[in-house]
Amino acid sequence: MVYEFCVLYPVNLSQKEEQTLLKGIEEIFAEAEGRQIAKDAWGRRGLAYPIKKQIEGNFIVFYYEMNPQKLREVDRQLRILPNVLRHLMVKPPKDYQMVKYSEAFEQWQKDKVTAVETKRKDEETKLQRKVVEKAKRDAKRTEVKKTEVKKKEAASTLEEADLSKKLDELISDDSIGL
Amino acid sequence: MDPRKQQQQQQRADPRLKKCPFCLKETKYIDYKDYPTIKPFMDYFGNIMKRYYSGLCLKHQKMLKNAIERARFMGMVSYRK
Repeated sequence: MVYEFCVLYPVNLSQKEEQTLLKGIEEIFAEAEGRQIAKDAWGRRGLAYPIKKQIEGNFIVFYYEMNPQKLREVDRQLRILPNVLRHLMVKPPKDYQMVKYSEAFEQWQKDKVTAVETKRKDEETKLQRKVVEKAKRDAKRTEVKKTEVKKKEAASTLEEADLSKKLDELISDDSIGL
Repeated sequence: MDPRKQQQQQQRADPRLKKCPFCLKETKYIDYKDYPTIKPFMDYFGNIMKRYYSGLCLKHQKMLKNAIERARFMGMVSYRK
């Protein structure tokens, strides 16, 4: 049976302590006659809440194939082992595909940054388009106004010309007999 | 009936047509280490979303609950903000 072990240990260990801790974990699995399939060290990660006053921790995920009867002993040993904040043993489903989350995590961060950037760019382009549209609308409005003014002027001049012509006619007309 | 009310009722989608997002992907197991998939089903305070709001099927809601509780224990997501 394949089992997944996740171990969380604090960051503020000295190198020697860390070495002994990792060795201790390996020894526990060796005692239980486990066969290592994969190991995934996540490295330093922030914790969602402080555990034993630690804000950050190191995660390591192991995949071991071992006898189910030895699990209880492994659990007990991991609980006794000093400098282990948390450990979790999970039996993954049959066709479980291991994901290297240490690499996936970096990818997420990149995706996050790119997502934020694309969002900002979209907003900028939107704003630019808005500005351009507004400018266009303004230009159109002023043009319309200008043409209207021109038309009005033309109309007024025409009317004036008409009026003067009529007046002239009236004045020159003798039949009225002023 | 008030015509406005009628319109509102017409706009609402049929809840039976709503599909569980994990079913669409044919997810068989939700990993507790996979933070981005878990995150949208938790609110600001770290509570698990109710099934009414998350829109998951019962099977996947249970898987999600399992994953979140494991992740909480390992300090990957918070119990309470």
